[in-house]
Amino acid sequence: MTSTTYDPAAPETDLRRRGLRLGDVLFKGVSVVAAAAATALLGLIAWKVLALAWPAIQDFGLSFVWTDAWDPVAGVYGGLIFVYGTVVTSLIALVIAAPLSIAIALFLTEIAPRRVAAPIATMVELLAAIPSVVLGLWGILVFGPWIRDHLEPWIQATPLGLLPVFSGTPSQAGILPAALVLTIMIIPITSAICRELFIRVPRDLTDGALALGSTRWESIRSVVLTYAAPGIAAAVLLGLGRAFGEAIAVNQTIGNHNVIPTSWFEPGDSLGSKIAAEYVGATSLEQASSILYLAAILMVISLATNVVAQLVVVRFERARRAV
Amino acid sequence: MKRAFVLGLAVLVIGAAAAFAGRTQSASAKPAAGSVVGTGSTFVFPLVSKWIPAVDNALGIKVTYSPTGSGAGIAQVTARTVDFGASDAPMTPDQLSACKGCTVIPWGLAGMSLPYNIPGIGSRLRLDGPAIANIFLGSITSWNAPAIKRLNPKAKLPDLKITPVYRADSSGSTYAFTNYLSEVSPQWKGKVGSATTVNFPAGTGARGSSGVAGVVKSTAGAITYVDAAYSIQNKFQFALIKNRAGGFATPGVRGVTAALSQLPKKITNASQLKIVDPPKSAGKRAYPISTFTFVIVPTSAGDKAQTLRQFVYWAVTQGQKFGPPLYFVPLPDNVKGFAYRKIKKIQAGT
Repeated sequence: MTSTTYDPAAPETDLRRRGLRLGDVLFKGVSVVAAAAATALLGLIAWKVLALAWPAIQDFGLSFVWTDAWDPVAGVYGGLIFVYGTVVTSLIALVIAAPLSIAIALFLTEIAPRRVAAPIATMVELLAAIPSVVLGLWGILVFGPWIRDHLEPWIQATPLGLLPVFSGTPSQAGILPAALVLTIMIIPITSAICRELFIRVPRDLTDGALALGSTRWESIRSVVLTYAAPGIAAAVLLGLGRAFGEAIAVNQTIGNHNVIPTSWFEPGDSLGSKIAAEYVGATSLEQASSILYLAAILMVISLATNVVAQLVVVRFERARRAV
Repeated sequence: MKRAFVLGLAVLVIGAAAAFAGRTQSASAKPAAGSVVGTGSTFVFPLVSKWIPAVDNALGIKVTYSPTGSGAGIAQVTARTVDFGASDAPMTPDQLSACKGCTVIPWGLAGMSLPYNIPGIGSRLRLDGPAIANIFLGSITSWNAPAIKRLNPKAKLPDLKITPVYRADSSGSTYAFTNYLSEVSPQWKGKVGSATTVNFPAGTGARGSSGVAGVVKSTAGAITYVDAAYSIQNKFQFALIKNRAGGFATPGVRGVTAALSQLPKKITNASQLKIVDPPKSAGKRAYPISTFTFVIVPTSAGDKAQTLRQFVYWAVTQGQKFGPPLYFVPLPDNVKGFAYRKIKKIQAGT
């Protein structure tokens, strides 16, 4: 009896101690290697893109970024058309998607009964599972023509139609159709993160607000939204990063025209879309390296967005702790 | 959060497994002598898909071909991931030097059609070179413009905005089309030029023949350029084009054959294979926008050299008879002669 009883005070056998140590070492090793590999990979990719873009960087210099031209026959290249397309489509998508995502998340966590909320939450998240190329095809065949025949004429009939960005002939492919497809792509991401954030708001706080006599809307505004603000900002910036990087769906819906259009109804082009369309089949080394220059610009924009997202979170956290 | 992580990990593992499986599969599918793998031009695909069973019957050569576009064809043969590439445009000097010893052989010939979508036009649209150039330059913007009315006295041309639609990807069709426009319009030549990708001054871009065709189908007032076979298979209305003899020609086999008369007797360079805008002597039937399509083969092809020689030789000789039902025109003797001399260069080498 005594020989089989485990005595916690007794010294452990050598083998057992060594086994434990081996596991620790192995675990530590794997995690260090994985972390180092991820960091190294980021560096390697960035270096390779810059190295391949180097001939164009040397030829055109930094002014490439604000040069409004792209002519493979004349050998004149610039990035402004595509930077404009990327930034404008993504910002339009962000402005529409952010309030909608927050509204969806609030509905799912605060308003809808659980029986309704669960299936709807799944459906919204499944929207993110549609491959972007399929969404782009739907954009070409269904959504684009609908925008041209109904949405854009309707916008022009409202006072908004007086703005130059809503002037011109409605078109199925252009800045606005691409931006709306991007909106559909980023809503599932931002709304899923927002939902996660709202669930984590301590029940005590909202109950407290209600007990103090605030309405449901007041408690949402003053407690839920305030508590989750840094997370919401980060979620929105993550969505923006997603929109910046999207190539295929934008390529299918933006109209691929090498101009900065005055009207958002008209075709333009974006960084990701241009890279996807023209890298394969580039007819000269200059064209290939100019396309990689575009890739480098896109990479800088996306990395900057992610860094800003992290800074925002840190800043908000600090501000909250100070309160 | 934890569940998402586990899910992500599972996806990663499945993805890695699939990638690994794909690699082993492609390694085991690497064909022995007697079979060749190629990719590229979508334009030539209908013809190649007729050749595949026929060349298997005749010579026992197994050909695998995937239509990925001329640009991809050049890129993949340059990377030597395929045995041959196919492109509708001859290679540029930069592309040739990157390919390190590739030979470019003409193996198909067909016309380029201009399908349009004009509701209620009533009769077949007729265009001439300057009108097409001005439409794609964006200087003619409406279908009832005087320049188009003059060519179509009987048609009911609506007051409808013209939407020129062009290929956004690198395309041999763009090469043939812009070659023609540069020939007929000094303004086009000066402002835009000709290449597989150009800076189109007006309109909308889409990827692939099916992409541009899709936009034309769904947009009233649109016009584009695709190979004649594609237009005919999809029952598109396409324009009749005025040639130098003053006739309005169609991109059928006779129209393209008539345009061949301008080729020199002995061809020594692929750059001579230009048959756009034929001279007046070609006659009223001559269709002005046609293009050769090419196969690109490494000159040192290792153990595949003999199979490739046999296959390409068969394609430019026996294979040509499969062309006419698909609106491909059999190669004339001078072009065949040029092709033979090129085929000889395919050697085992190093």
